[in-house]
Amino acid sequence: MSTSNDILVRCRGVTKQYKKGETLVTPLESLDLDVPRGDFLAMMGPSGSGKTTLLNLLSGIDQPTSGTIEFDGMEIQDLPRRKLAGWRARHVGYIFQLYHLVPVLTAFENVELPLLLDDMSRRDRRERVEAALSLVGLADRVHHYPRELSGGQEQRVAIARALVADPALLVADEPTGDLDREAADAILGLLQTLVREQHKTVVMVTHDPRAADAAMRILHLEKGRLQEAAV
Amino acid sequence: MSLRVLLNLVPLAAKQLYRHRIRTLLTVAGIGAGMFLFSLVESMQQAVAGATEANAEDVTLVVYRENRFCPSTSRLPIYYEDEIRKIPGVREVIPIQITVNNCGASLDIITFRGVPPNRLPSYAPEIEVIAGSLEEWGRIDDGALVGRTFAQKRGLAPGEAFEAAGVRVRVAGIIDSPYPQDNNVAYVHLPFLQQASRRGLGEVTQFNVRVSNAEQVERVANAIDERFASSEEPTHTQPEKAFFAQTARELIELTGFTRWIGLGAVIAVLGLVANAVLLVVRTRIRENAVLQTLGYPDPAVGWLVLLEGMLLGMAGGLLGTGGAMGFLAAARITFGNEGQVLAVLADPTILVRGLLLALGLGALAALYPAWIAVRNPIVESLRS
Repeated sequence: MSTSNDILVRCRGVTKQYKKGETLVTPLESLDLDVPRGDFLAMMGPSGSGKTTLLNLLSGIDQPTSGTIEFDGMEIQDLPRRKLAGWRARHVGYIFQLYHLVPVLTAFENVELPLLLDDMSRRDRRERVEAALSLVGLADRVHHYPRELSGGQEQRVAIARALVADPALLVADEPTGDLDREAADAILGLLQTLVREQHKTVVMVTHDPRAADAAMRILHLEKGRLQEAAV
Repeated sequence: MSLRVLLNLVPLAAKQLYRHRIRTLLTVAGIGAGMFLFSLVESMQQAVAGATEANAEDVTLVVYRENRFCPSTSRLPIYYEDEIRKIPGVREVIPIQITVNNCGASLDIITFRGVPPNRLPSYAPEIEVIAGSLEEWGRIDDGALVGRTFAQKRGLAPGEAFEAAGVRVRVAGIIDSPYPQDNNVAYVHLPFLQQASRRGLGEVTQFNVRVSNAEQVERVANAIDERFASSEEPTHTQPEKAFFAQTARELIELTGFTRWIGLGAVIAVLGLVANAVLLVVRTRIRENAVLQTLGYPDPAVGWLVLLEGMLLGMAGGLLGTGGAMGFLAAARITFGNEGQVLAVLADPTILVRGLLLALGLGALAALYPAWIAVRNPIVESLRS
């Protein structure tokens, strides 16, 4: 059984509602969830089940209508926009399905992006970026532009960008959704390595059961509620 | 956000501009055209201001014949010199003969100033002979000391001869003066010019009078005019700049109108930058949301957009203002009226002012796009 110190993210009674025209949409309703440190959690469910909404709430790019979200003991649901940005920069790495790299920047420069906000020396930045790119196996692609990389390599760069500020939590929205099987397996293997060796906590949204199998836990969401959990 | 972080964002902003190269180039060219116009107008305004706005150090009076149309139509007996010299407060008097090729408003005025050869150094101690020599000028009767701008414009060098306004002279030297208008004239011997312009040796067109101090300028001017009020050739005495302001009234009004052209150019620059940055921001809504997801606070994203506007402004400002300075340096534009010549010069202060203005306009124009870039919730922008 997990103690409260082992829990990195704790959601209690989290509801998210928004208006779409005249209709009130509730993608998440009274959700309770604990994510222990070092967990690799996959969230599955049909489209519109609320998994991406939950991911957005956990990563602090959206805020719940009600309920609490604690990260490492600190409630983040009511943080003002600017503080939330600072919190994200320190604690969360976000991996997008379509990588979202800046096309005019090299792999190095893309990974460097989160560090530009820090008052660190250029040398320190370079060391951290090179370490992150080495970790994802792209030490030899440092000066390549996204157009010169394969989809799998682009996603590795995106993972390095998520890792470079050394956040405790990595959230991944369909990280293998745009990749072929081989590249997808390599990315999932990389995420497992990050959990195992770098002690990162990963929350991943996926439609792909094979991808979900790489996780330590699988949660199913349906109509904004947790349906079942599998190990 | 610290200055260091801000500086970190500059290369990123530059690369974003490079990403839309054609749009960036067209925008910079547009800003350049606007700033070119602005800088030309500013240079013209500065030339007029320099020639017409009196200051506390102005102690030179010019005595013309009353109701003269043009300096060359002013006829004053040369013996007035001794009378003027007797007036208290007068430090120096020099008789001058002016001959011009065109008395109307013109972009191509050639002015000869005939001065007694032995008195040029005391009349204009500030001038420096940069080619040829003063001695050579003193030695040859038809010698001319040609102003630097005049010489460059006509490609003149010491030893060469040229003819203008019916006067043929030999270049004895090239001079440089801190007063721009003096670099557009040719100094010749007074007797030579009097004869060459068929005036006769007893007449000059004007007297330039140096007064002991600025407080006495008005009193001395009145005293001179009173002294000759009942003479056959009554005088009208004013500071040199006041004469120019009076005679070049139309030119001043015209250059005043050009302020509107300058303002139009500034507004055009503002619109161009705003349009370019807004287009860029609208195509990058998702990308900005990605930056926000990575932890970029709203001010950082906003600054990124502002920096793009400032870089556009800076590049356009360099192109336009630098181009205008280069053009003025190469074209050596002069214009004038009634024999008074104005040089529109490439002034470094206008370059600096133009660059700062372009930078400020870039930032101002990017304010609204910067707000557009950060106003929406991140999730909404990521979905766009």
